Amino acid sequence: MKLFVCIDDTDNYDSIGTGELLENMMGEAAIKGLAKAGFTVRYQLFIHDDIPYTSHNSSMCCAAETNDRETFTEFCQKYLEENSAEGSDPGLCILTDDSSLDYSALIEFGKRAQCKVLTKEEAYKAAKEFGNGLHLSEHGGTGGGIIGALAGAALRAGKEEGRIKGKIQPLPNKPDWTTSEFASVFGVQRFIDEDGNEITDNLSIRFVHPTKLLYSKGLITGVIINENGQLMPKPKIKKNKEKKQ
Amino acid sequence: MTDWIKENGKAVFAGGKGSFEDAARVASQCSCFSEDCEDELVCDDAISCYNCRYRRWTATSFECMKR
Ligand code: SF4
Repeated sequence: MKLFVCIDDTDNYDSIGTGELLENMMGEAAIKGLAKAGFTVRYQLFIHDDIPYTSHNSSMCCAAETNDRETFTEFCQKYLEENSAEGSDPGLCILTDDSSLDYSALIEFGKRAQCKVLTKEEAYKAAKEFGNGLHLSEHGGTGGGIIGALAGAALRAGKEEGRIKGKIQPLPNKPDWTTSEFASVFGVQRFIDEDGNEITDNLSIRFVHPTKLLYSKGLITGVIINENGQLMPKPKIKKNKEKKQ
Repeated sequence: MTDWIKENGKAVFAGGKGSFEDAARVASQCSCFSEDCEDELVCDDAISCYNCRYRRWTATSFECMKR
């Protein structure tokens, strides 16, 4: 069975981040033979004084496959209770990944969480309306993390755009690539330019700076930029030219 | 120029989100700087308030949780 697994509000200023905790949790689940995880997508949620996030209010969601959903869910709940940071408000959402399901109301909730302050009551209402196939639970503190956890899982189910956790490093002694080589080595399914236009040609690119991939239109997406006439995967950070929030 | 504005008892960075040089200068003089996790880094200055785990983004800037 395929799932989306999302956790939120598991950290404090001195702990590991929620993305790292999710990866650790999924790593342990894999060792126990409970589930296999896919890549993790980061979704930016609303930045507002009334929302008790630590530093950035982002939510992390990974895809997973399990043969025993019940045991896997119990494992995640226990893991969060034992490993979330002191003073955090952890929430867990496990959502069935099935293209025959109608996620539209959930996606609406996820999109609202990116531009509005939402309440736990609204999260429970959206979860209840979705019905079977959705687990939502609180694991300490105020439990307010269920809002971001549900939003992250919903946005992922809706194939909404987010950044894939982690970065891709250039390979030593190989600066020159084609986009088709790059796609096959790093699992990229689609390329776009900085304005979001699809790139279908097999381009020559120079890959010398770490880059990050996007999850966009449901595909692992690389962004190619033109830097003074040189095509390259967009460097992970472009100093002084952009900001994230 | 002062780097911080006091808002409801919170220290908010006066430079907003685009003052990379000031954010690097402030962090270089701060003993509390600690790099945030990789996915939350926003500029390539090794030491910058913008990359510090103790900055809390607001709509227009960030507040420092150590001030
Ligand atoms: S955000 Fe605060 S703690 Fe971090 S470097 Fe800047 S002044 Fe220091």
